[in-house]
Amino acid sequence: MSALKLKLRAAPSRRLDLSPLIPGRLAGLSIAEIEKIAIYAGPEGLTVGDCFAVSGAAGDALHIEGGSDKFDKVGAEHAGGEIIVDGDVGLYAGRRMKSGRLDIRGNAGDCLASNLRGGIVIVSGSAGTHLGGPLAGEKDGLAGGTVVVMGDTGDLAGERMRRGTLVVKGRMGRNAGARMMGGTIIGEQGLSAGAGVQMRRGTLIGPSLEAQSATFVDCGTHELLILTIMAAYWRRTLGDLAPPAIASAPRRLMGDLSSLGKGEILLTEG
Amino acid sequence: MTEANEKAAAAPLNRNGIAIDDTFAEAFGMSGTGIIITADTAKWARQSAVTMTGFGTSVIGCGAECGIDYEVAPENTPDGRPGVRVLVFGFAPNMVEDQLKNRVGQCVLTSPGSACFNGLESAKRISLSGGPRFFGDGWQTARKLGDTRYWRVPVMDGEFVIEDKAGVTTDAVGGGNFLVIGRDRAGVLETCELAVAAIAEVPDVITPFPGGIVRSGSKVGSKYGAPASTNEAFCPVLRGAVDSELGPDDKCVLEIVIDGLTAQAVGAAMRAGLKAVLDAGPQRGVTRVSAGNYGGNLGQHHYHLKDYLP
Repeated sequence: MSALKLKLRAAPSRRLDLSPLIPGRLAGLSIAEIEKIAIYAGPEGLTVGDCFAVSGAAGDALHIEGGSDKFDKVGAEHAGGEIIVDGDVGLYAGRRMKSGRLDIRGNAGDCLASNLRGGIVIVSGSAGTHLGGPLAGEKDGLAGGTVVVMGDTGDLAGERMRRGTLVVKGRMGRNAGARMMGGTIIGEQGLSAGAGVQMRRGTLIGPSLEAQSATFVDCGTHELLILTIMAAYWRRTLGDLAPPAIASAPRRLMGDLSSLGKGEILLTEG
Repeated sequence: MTEANEKAAAAPLNRNGIAIDDTFAEAFGMSGTGIIITADTAKWARQSAVTMTGFGTSVIGCGAECGIDYEVAPENTPDGRPGVRVLVFGFAPNMVEDQLKNRVGQCVLTSPGSACFNGLESAKRISLSGGPRFFGDGWQTARKLGDTRYWRVPVMDGEFVIEDKAGVTTDAVGGGNFLVIGRDRAGVLETCELAVAAIAEVPDVITPFPGGIVRSGSKVGSKYGAPASTNEAFCPVLRGAVDSELGPDDKCVLEIVIDGLTAQAVGAAMRAGLKAVLDAGPQRGVTRVSAGNYGGNLGQHHYHLKDYLP
């Protein structure tokens, strides 16, 4: 796999829109052409060449050396290939990504993987609020694909999620899976208060739940075959990053009965 | 053709003391699908598969031709449990889909601990869950993993999990066949059992009739208007009364019918079955092997016995 390398010249003082920098859009461009791509809409008119030293060749892989919380829309609309960022990213990373892999080796800001359609997003650090969520006026949040956050997440992770998988290795903020319509959220350290509030369908999985809402009913403990199928799928797609297999029958809470009530929270430690 | 060649062509083929007619099996293009049924134990996976494939001998009378292809080891099933691969054949994909709806709904959904998955990778797909998932009466939920959607249907022993779609091929072949003719009914049956066992080792094929063997070979049409009726030319008790295909000592004819997902698979099964018959030899009273056809004008696939001899 050939790689295009962008080395950050200096920490940016303004927010940069890096959405043009995805392998699919850069394919076939020379380094000179890539350096002329505008990545800031303000009066300064910053380009890739102003902010990054560009080397290598455009292909299936893009490697951004250096990160910043002012890097917005990294990997937005990404549709095949791999993007690696050695550092933090800002808002909307992986927004509406369709396929491929986005590997963020740092922290991510708010609205990571907003309305993700497919592919895999991995964050080695933590992520902000509204992970996978919709923007104002949008119907769906996460609509496919897989997001793995090794650290913590802010509030409202997986809001209005319809499909896909969200794995959080650290602690989750409040109201994860709010108004969820499908898909799976796994909080390996447990689920915080408000998890699944007003969810219609979908599954939240965790060892524990901070506070159970009165609008969820306890269905008891059950062996669920679908968990075996899901675990096998995650092993195939995520390898070592896959959530641990669920050894015993989880407790099933069904809700949210203040909404459609066809969702579930599975508690793996009773 | 020289005179010597004409004589050679007219002389009956004979292998290991069994004559082989210079004829062919006439088979038809069909649509076929494969599904994997799993359960907590191999016994219950097989029970479900046996029930689902019952009354699946002839597409004319049963709506589909069905059978067990092979057992699937737990490490090769989507849910890590013992499984059985079942094949279902019909005239067209929508016909196969209708049969799946009924058979899976009545025989797999109802079987304790069962689950049902696609067993054929194909670009063309039909609904597998179309009937059974609605048994959930609104409590069913879907889970999409990658490109595959699964349905979870609440039932009295937990959840019935079923994949949404199954692959279907329109390159399937139905009606590959050969006839085993002999002097002893029990011996011919034993020999056919050996052939069916050999064919069972060939993937992507089934022998849909009871135990893989047919005793009522048919011809097209009937004086009563039925689509098929007894093939009197191969009925020993009518020898002398009709234009019989049988010799004076023949007492029994049994047929093995083969359906496969590809023409090649049916050919491989023909070869395996014929080898088993010929290897068994004449000790059980088998004298001759022939095949059923309709003059070659109806079926697109012709399997000449001489091309499939060991």
